[in-house]
Amino acid sequence: MAEKFHTELKKLKADTLKMAKLGRFMLRTGVDALIRQDKELAASVVARKDEIHEMEVRIEEHCYQLIALNQPMAKDMRIIACTLKVITASLRIGRYGKSIANTVADLSTKPHIANLMSIPHMADLVIDMIDDAVAAYESDNLRLIEDLSSRDDTIDALRHSIFREGITYMMEDPKNISRCTHYIMVARYLERCADHACKIAENVQYMETGERVEIH
Amino acid sequence: MSESAIITTNNLNLWYHEKHALQSVSIKIPKNRVTALIGPSGCGKSTLLRCFNRLNDLIDHVKITGEITLDDENLHAPATDVVTLRKKVGMVFQKPNPFPKSIYENVAYGPRVHGICNKAELDKIVEQSLRHAAIWDEVKERLNDSALGLSGGQQQRLCIARTLAVEPEVILMDEPCSALDPIATAKIENLIERLKEDYTVIIVTHNMQQAARVSDYTGFMYLGKLIECGKTRQIFEHPKEELTENYITGRFG
Repeated sequence: MAEKFHTELKKLKADTLKMAKLGRFMLRTGVDALIRQDKELAASVVARKDEIHEMEVRIEEHCYQLIALNQPMAKDMRIIACTLKVITASLRIGRYGKSIANTVADLSTKPHIANLMSIPHMADLVIDMIDDAVAAYESDNLRLIEDLSSRDDTIDALRHSIFREGITYMMEDPKNISRCTHYIMVARYLERCADHACKIAENVQYMETGERVEIH
Repeated sequence: MSESAIITTNNLNLWYHEKHALQSVSIKIPKNRVTALIGPSGCGKSTLLRCFNRLNDLIDHVKITGEITLDDENLHAPATDVVTLRKKVGMVFQKPNPFPKSIYENVAYGPRVHGICNKAELDKIVEQSLRHAAIWDEVKERLNDSALGLSGGQQQRLCIARTLAVEPEVILMDEPCSALDPIATAKIENLIERLKEDYTVIIVTHNMQQAARVSDYTGFMYLGKLIECGKTRQIFEHPKEELTENYITGRFG
């Protein structure tokens, strides 16, 4: 019985990784569509919103089923607890990718102001954080996430700088208000995605060691 | 374990002939708490339990070294009276074993052996013990019926009442639910929860979910050794030892 359960647990983790990768892909592609002002690419991100939602529901149900039928303990229990958090974070990341893709239509009529400011750089850093947090979930390697807190500080600083830069362009010319508001929102979405990477990392730490830590 | 201990073993070793069944076991059993001993078959958990009321004395060729204290008194000191010890440390076994007597006589037997003959006093002890064991309402109309006519779960609660009648400090339970159905098991588990207000309970079980449900502390034993002992939540949420982890997640045992 235990063997069957552990096989199921491996499958659960594999499914969760697929979902985390889809969330990450939606964010990466959403940002790429914004950078290139590519409405078709943006539409391809929006089209996957149901898919990621269905994945979340399916994995969540699988977790409940494993709990109800096996009463898992120790690391087995912690893997399931962590998984429930990872799928929530991944869904949010995917949805922020979709939200960013949704801005592309409005932001494709004219060239970007100041080459999107620091948004492309910020997106690269956020996606690296997500990659490391998800890789730690996959490989149990906690070293990947040990500096996540200071990386999150960098993200917060970038969001703040984009906010100030955006305000400056708005004051220069009221025609920039709509575009810069979108930029500020995108920076906010990216910052939230970094927070979700930290949440994943916190739960991976719990999964591995049983200790609760705060990463932010 | 920072709580005050009622039973302490220090470097306890036990051999059955050549078999080294308990190896340097040092454990503290906190007072008024439920401590569960878990581990695969043959790991020594029942042997350890039976040390606490010297039940192993009844077996030939047993050798014990190390120390066991109850209330700071050495259980193997020459002055220790085994009858008094077993009054203080009661035991409930895997299979309910009521005497082939009436329900009343089963409970009154112990107090009588210890010299209580007054009928009114015995009546009081019988009622209190049966109430404490959560079986009074089910048997109060038929106290003179044979105990053997009760269901398995009722028999087991009667055996608990019989143990309580001599006012023990510690109750040892060796797989008390393994012969019972889930409903009778739930009744015994609820009872264990209530018993710890007045007694210290030590339970041996191979049912890990049961250990997790009923106990405050859990000790994991393997091949005669106490591998890890700590708060139940810690043992089942994040055990420190890999062996414990592997056992409670069903990787062996």
